[in-house]
Amino acid sequence: MGLKTPSDALVTLTRGAFAHAGSSLGLKTGDWRVTRPVHVHRASPCHNACPAGENPQAYLALVEEDPRAAWSKLVSANPLPAVTGRVCHHPCESECNRGRFDEPVAIHAIERFLGDQAIEHGWDYPAAKPPPDALEVAVVGAGPAGLSAAYHLSRRGYLVTLFEARSEPGGLLRSAIPAYRLPRSVVEREIERLLSVGIRLEPNRRLGRDMILADLEKSFRAVFLAPGAERGREWSVGGVVPRDLRNGLELLQEWISIGSLPKYERVAIIGGGNTSVDLARVLKFNGVPEVHVISFRTRPGPGVSPDEAMPALAREVKQAIEEGVIIDDCRGVTRLILRGEQVVGVELVHMKKLPQPDGTRKPVAFEGTETVLRVDHVIPAIGEEVEPFGMEAVLGANRFFAVDAEGQVQGCRGIFAGGDARLGGGTVSDAVGDGRRAAEAIDRYIRGVALAAKAAPPSIGIGELNLNYFDHAPRAEIRFLAPEERNAEAEIEAPLGAGEVARESERCFSCGECMTCDNCWTLCPDNAVLKTMETASDGSHYVFDYDYCKGCGLCARECPVGFIAMVDEP
Amino acid sequence: MLEALEGSAAIAKAVALCRPQVLSAYPITPQTHIVENLASLVADGQLRAEMVSVESEFSAASVVLGAAACGSRAYTASSAQGILLMTEVLYNVAGLRVPVVLTCANRAISAPVSAWNDQQDSMSVRDAGWIQLYCASNQEAVDTTIQAFRIAERCELPVMVCVDGYILTHTLEPIDIPTQEQVDAFLPPYRFSRMLDPLRPISIGNLVTPEYYAEARYAHHQALLRAKDEIEAADRDWAKVCGRRSGGLLSVEGPDDARIGILTIGSVLGTLADAREEYPDPPAKLLKLRSMRPFPADAIRHACRGLSDLVVLERALSMGSGGIIGAEVRSALFGEPNPPRVHNFAAGLGGRDMPLEIYPRLLKAAEAPEPTRFAIMDVELQKLPETER
Amino acid sequence: MAADEKASLFELRRAQPAFRGLEAGHLACQGCGQALGARLVTEAAGPDVIVANATGCLEVFTTAWPRTAWRVPWIHSLFENAPAIASGIEAALKAQGRLTKVVAMGGDGGTFDIGLQALSGMLERNHNVLYVCFDNEAYMNTGIQRSSSTPHAAMTTTSPAGKARMGKRHLKKDLLSIIAAHHIPYAATASVAYPSDLRKKVRRGLEIEGAAFLLVHSPCPLGWGHDGALTVEVARLAVETGVFPMLEMERGDVVAVMQIRNVRPVTDYLKLQDRFSHLFDESPEARVELEHLQALADHHIEVYGLRGTSPDPRDSEGADTVRRGGLRWG
Repeated sequence: MGLKTPSDALVTLTRGAFAHAGSSLGLKTGDWRVTRPVHVHRASPCHNACPAGENPQAYLALVEEDPRAAWSKLVSANPLPAVTGRVCHHPCESECNRGRFDEPVAIHAIERFLGDQAIEHGWDYPAAKPPPDALEVAVVGAGPAGLSAAYHLSRRGYLVTLFEARSEPGGLLRSAIPAYRLPRSVVEREIERLLSVGIRLEPNRRLGRDMILADLEKSFRAVFLAPGAERGREWSVGGVVPRDLRNGLELLQEWISIGSLPKYERVAIIGGGNTSVDLARVLKFNGVPEVHVISFRTRPGPGVSPDEAMPALAREVKQAIEEGVIIDDCRGVTRLILRGEQVVGVELVHMKKLPQPDGTRKPVAFEGTETVLRVDHVIPAIGEEVEPFGMEAVLGANRFFAVDAEGQVQGCRGIFAGGDARLGGGTVSDAVGDGRRAAEAIDRYIRGVALAAKAAPPSIGIGELNLNYFDHAPRAEIRFLAPEERNAEAEIEAPLGAGEVARESERCFSCGECMTCDNCWTLCPDNAVLKTMETASDGSHYVFDYDYCKGCGLCARECPVGFIAMVDEP
Repeated sequence: MLEALEGSAAIAKAVALCRPQVLSAYPITPQTHIVENLASLVADGQLRAEMVSVESEFSAASVVLGAAACGSRAYTASSAQGILLMTEVLYNVAGLRVPVVLTCANRAISAPVSAWNDQQDSMSVRDAGWIQLYCASNQEAVDTTIQAFRIAERCELPVMVCVDGYILTHTLEPIDIPTQEQVDAFLPPYRFSRMLDPLRPISIGNLVTPEYYAEARYAHHQALLRAKDEIEAADRDWAKVCGRRSGGLLSVEGPDDARIGILTIGSVLGTLADAREEYPDPPAKLLKLRSMRPFPADAIRHACRGLSDLVVLERALSMGSGGIIGAEVRSALFGEPNPPRVHNFAAGLGGRDMPLEIYPRLLKAAEAPEPTRFAIMDVELQKLPETER
Repeated sequence: MAADEKASLFELRRAQPAFRGLEAGHLACQGCGQALGARLVTEAAGPDVIVANATGCLEVFTTAWPRTAWRVPWIHSLFENAPAIASGIEAALKAQGRLTKVVAMGGDGGTFDIGLQALSGMLERNHNVLYVCFDNEAYMNTGIQRSSSTPHAAMTTTSPAGKARMGKRHLKKDLLSIIAAHHIPYAATASVAYPSDLRKKVRRGLEIEGAAFLLVHSPCPLGWGHDGALTVEVARLAVETGVFPMLEMERGDVVAVMQIRNVRPVTDYLKLQDRFSHLFDESPEARVELEHLQALADHHIEVYGLRGTSPDPRDSEGADTVRRGGLRWG
């Protein structure tokens, strides 16, 4: 047992051999160790999954005590939480470890709550405006990608000129998302705050028409292109196109901006994306008796992989069905049935996107399953591509910009691109993330600093948490207007209250990050974990006293969040 | 004040006068009357103390250890089997240097079972590290008990006050019980330097490795040896208060020119003192041993100068060896020029009567051509089968 | 580490927001359940307490002279008399009119066996003492010998498993029934896997007037044969299988139990410990023992009503739930 005389100076025997309290501190039992506990920050799955690069774990930790601090944390990555908190497809929730325990944390609703709180209370971004002599960067396109890039560049101390072809900023946020999903006032307030950080907005300036790319390259240190995808894809069935064909996105944008819709009786919208579903719902809200959405993909839901599912948000599809929209999934249009130039119906066939021998996936039609659907209008909403005007040199023959991991256009120094215009983009959150990554890359490019290659570390899985310390608790219930109460103007999803948000944030496991639960401090048999009032250098509130830690590993084993690992003694 | 009291009652009053705060009690003959008397005093409100009636002597000793370590003057009493049962604790109390006073009402030890007096019990634990003082009379028992608290607390050593069971404890006689003022003047309030106190926390009872154990033993042994001064001082100082001496470590009575000495311990001294008046010839000195531990070797050597014969009479023996006090006396005298011949007898075992006539027989034995190395007096061999003699 | 960093760590240690009656630098094995238990007990008891400790692992690894890990006044006398020492301390404090609390500590050897008499006496006299038994189910200090607290079929050096014997033959002594028969105001069982609950029970025991008894299940990595890092896990499984019931008794009647919401099979607990490894050799004899142990656990669950019926996650009073910002009670 190591009962040796003390190795320190000779001590004189006390009467009866009594000892003074706490004198055991003279024996540094730390030299028993072969492994030692260390704090390791692990990436949470919600962080790795967020296309915008938010760290929900980090701001959920702050929500209950200080919502403003939580919002400040959130907007260090994403400047538009009131927007994304309404329209994002929340992959964070799909990856949330809590979802494998009972139900995922309602991160999306909490993000919306924080965004709305900021609007209600008039919170400012925690960042200073760049100095008037700051270096200048040009951003083309004031949609979510351009806005995000401008914001992040401004935070980094650059003076940004934000060119927007239309008269108002916002891109598809303003023009293509209906108010029942994203109220106009929310968009305006978010953008208003964003632009007030010292960004110079120049509306009605279209690249190619009002200025040329070469001039921008000369006048600015770098250029970020986020023009969106404005050109509708060509659509026909066997080469046939109806006379009065209208593009789905155009129709939707027209309705949103001026409120008018053609009169329809029976409509088939082709395409399974949000545009298609939104248009369908708008048509239903405006009294069109029969509205179909036709997609060769599968209706999204549990058990349907993202590869196979319609790109539209599952909740939107569900609500659409509640409102009377008919979803014809796993169907393709094989023939237009015309009388003269008027559409009277479409021939549908069962279809599925299946893997091919060459590894790609192709929609395959199943002969013998044909049916006829009587409609009087067909509206394609099959997606857009980049309008090349003014950017031909950079785009080349591509339909979307080809960019590297940071957003620099391949082969073009100093030109970056992101958002729907980039190959692989397509959601608001991706666009926000693109803007942030590009701002970081532009900053390094201007300063001449090379990219430090860092792959995102793998996130911590549920198996690395200690679930003994968590109780099951139901997820906050998110309420929606009943289908019969819905219309095209009022927001359908109700917000959570502050109390619900606080309770919901407590369900967060704090994966991979200390939640100051005191377990390590409580369970060390050797009193070798010390608690600190101030945050320690590694961001936690605990310090290992290696003079006494014997390396037993209890703290690591019982840490609920996987923040402690045992490593070999150096 | 002179009161006619049974020895136990007098001892109880002496203890009460010393203001103990914690008493523990486990019944065993012949000590029981002491604790019963104390219980009465507590019940009547004459003594304000916590009386803990424990479930064995092991716990009786442990309770006083805990109490004394925690800052309260503590007392208990026991005999024979009880003393043996608590032996582990006795060593512990002494080694921890905690001041406690215990009355041993001397009684013979089982087996064979006996309820009567001899001193085998206290002699069995003489190595435990306690101060052991033997009383020749009930008056001495009262005076020694009071002195014992002071000695214990000044030396930080526990004190065992030995009193012959039945002979002293159950004998009624007039005894001077001092006043509370007298005792208070002599015995200050209890203070223990290593008291268990949350404001000054220490750990008592640690493990000691070979590197320091010898030093611990040395310090304890030295403390016992130095206690001799304290024992003498207590006797002197108490005599100033009440006018009586109890004999210090060793006291000698008898004519200076006597060449025979009888050294003994305990109540038999009273018998021998009376006998000396009846049998004045040959003249003999009575060496009254009071402190068995620390053993007053110097005083014994001094008292034996000029003696031709020393009879050591004791009420116990070391089985397989012989007399206990006899051996220690011989050891003390070894190397002295002209030491007396030592004759060693054990008597009164298991309560066997020791009448006055024992005195002339001891004197006769002292004159024998060969000194008796060791013998048990009054053994009647005809009571034993041949094979056991 | 720089000198000023070292100094600041020392200052930090002194400024901890919980009272650490058991300091670092003691000689307990890595992951010792008893060290953890003793630290938690003194934390809950606070600095105004006097501890009487019986001979055993705890006493030895905390007080090898000249060092002591205790920050409270502490006394060790002998193996079998901690309750009697504590009784004496309590009597002294009463006589002196001081309100300092008294805690006696002992292992299962010193409590179930050699110290049972003194414990019984202390409880019968209802001294105002909390007696804490750290139950690691064997005489560990002397090298893992069997005590009357050792569970049935467990291996120890004096109850080894071999061709003729399958570990300890006798059942674990039902000490709780003995304690119950004394009808003291409060008795409870606790586990180092549930520190909040343990501290709460210590406080309850100290608040009541009269004798209190607390049995703390304390895994011993060395003696039970598991990694030190698993001490809490093993203790938790003992509770979740019903092997170690968590109860509170008042005057001998069980008034509260910690319910098990998901009862685990006994093998989950046994297979983590080498002292039961002989039961997993798939022989018929081993099978009988496993079934017996399962039956004993089932018996506990039945007799004490341990199966959790309420869906309320707070039915364990949050004994094992963590919250951001630290444990808010216990």
